[in-house]
Amino acid sequence: MAHLSDGTLRRKFDDAGSMTESENRHYTACADCQARYATLAEDAQAVAGALAVPDLKVDVASAFSRVRTAPAQPRFGIRLPIVRPASRPVMGVLAASAVVLALVVTGIAQGLFFHPQSVQVVQVSVADLQSLNGLGGFGTLTWTTQPTPQLVTSAAEAASVSGLHVPAVGNLPSGVSSNVTYAAMPAAVGVFTFDAAKAAATAAKAGKTLPAMPSGMDGSKLTVTVGPAVVEIFGNLNLPTGTGTTTGAAPDPSQLTLPQLVVGESSAPVVTSSGVTTQQLEDYLLSLPGVSPQLAAAIRAVKDPSTTLPIPIPIEYATSTNVTVQGVTGVAVGDNTGLGAGVIWIKSGTVYGVAGTLKQDAILNIANGLK
Amino acid sequence: MASKAGNRNGTVTNEESFEALFSAEYGRVAGIANRVLADPHEAEDVAQEVFIDFNRLHSASAPYAAAWLYRAAAHKALNRVRGRRRREKRELSQATDEGAHTMDPQHMLEVSEDRRQIRQALARLAPKPATVLVLRASGLSYAEVAQSLGVGIGQIGTLLRRAEAALRKEVTRGTSF
Repeated sequence: MAHLSDGTLRRKFDDAGSMTESENRHYTACADCQARYATLAEDAQAVAGALAVPDLKVDVASAFSRVRTAPAQPRFGIRLPIVRPASRPVMGVLAASAVVLALVVTGIAQGLFFHPQSVQVVQVSVADLQSLNGLGGFGTLTWTTQPTPQLVTSAAEAASVSGLHVPAVGNLPSGVSSNVTYAAMPAAVGVFTFDAAKAAATAAKAGKTLPAMPSGMDGSKLTVTVGPAVVEIFGNLNLPTGTGTTTGAAPDPSQLTLPQLVVGESSAPVVTSSGVTTQQLEDYLLSLPGVSPQLAAAIRAVKDPSTTLPIPIPIEYATSTNVTVQGVTGVAVGDNTGLGAGVIWIKSGTVYGVAGTLKQDAILNIANGLK
Repeated sequence: MASKAGNRNGTVTNEESFEALFSAEYGRVAGIANRVLADPHEAEDVAQEVFIDFNRLHSASAPYAAAWLYRAAAHKALNRVRGRRRREKRELSQATDEGAHTMDPQHMLEVSEDRRQIRQALARLAPKPATVLVLRASGLSYAEVAQSLGVGIGQIGTLLRRAEAALRKEVTRGTSF
């Protein structure tokens, strides 16, 4: 008989009667398994002692009263458990990094810079996100067509505003409210202009020295088209909710209520370039202070950067896997705990995303059932 | 798990279900948070936030309610340990104050410091091993831990073993754990 697994031995520590008769016979005769058991039992005892705390005495009635009288929270927004530890600063840079990372990756592409047809994960650390956030100091973004996201009253109106077919969700899982709020946005166009003087000034403020911009990069422009887009938000967003802490902390406007389910659709972003060559841009951006060798390697590893949308995943807080959704490869984030999961994919030049406080299986079912 | 309560019509409202769920699970949820934080007041803050989040997002009669609450309590409490530095100062301050009444101050400071280092080491682990340790140490059965983590019960022994070894390794970097 093979040696007993660590799991079997560990369970024996908690429940001496958990092993089968044959496992017991093996254990009695096997000095190796006995030695392993002694080691893991010592670890288990040490950890149990380390995590011991005095018994907690609670007043359930008072606690329930506090929960019921908790102040209301703002109605819209995001509170993802998987990124909660990072709090506001990281949420901010996460959003910014998605745009900047796209710009960085587009530097590798040729001709028409960037028109993604598929998605790929780029794992980033919090430090990477913070360094990417700083890239905004290397130029100026101006909108030639401002993004104008707006709440609308129906799917038909969302379709009218965006010009997109609004995806219909099939069967909602039990527990998800059928109340739906629609938002829509027409296409927006922004121009990012590299500015050597601004970059130098930003770096000087941070006490850093930058490598010189390649010839022709100063003043060169990236034109980014995002949207149009539609978003469907499922949940009782009008319900008052609260933070409800015994310390009486004021509600934090940045900590907004997470809808149960969000379904989004957007035309894939398109980026074009004038002036700078793609290799110059890549080499320059990836050589900047704060861009870790790991991040640079991850970006260089993107196989077909001109047609791949990078999805920045903070490795400390979220896991991701490739999945097949609607017949194409997508990226799923989160897990099967129900705390939070999402999936994003590109099909026929359109980016789709489904996310919510559901198990990953449920999210994938919804994604595959979109019509 | 929530017990059923009825209104005058004999039906159970979500509000009643939530109150029943709260009564049944609040102590355990707060206990899980306290296992991580070693701070009763902060643990109750976390427990109440967890219930508020749950009530906003889910039906109180959902079959996964307890599992969701347990896991959320562990995660939220671990996140607090990760995100807070001022907590360290307060613990030391509390240890000094309490020690004046109950224990040798030097010993209390040492206990507090050990506890702080262990919690910080716990928070440095990946979410799954940290959570499995917290939930098991809080008295959840293998089946309950498995349900909370969304894994098979047969995996719990292995997960526990790996997590305990990882925690010891993490702590022994700086102490005589």
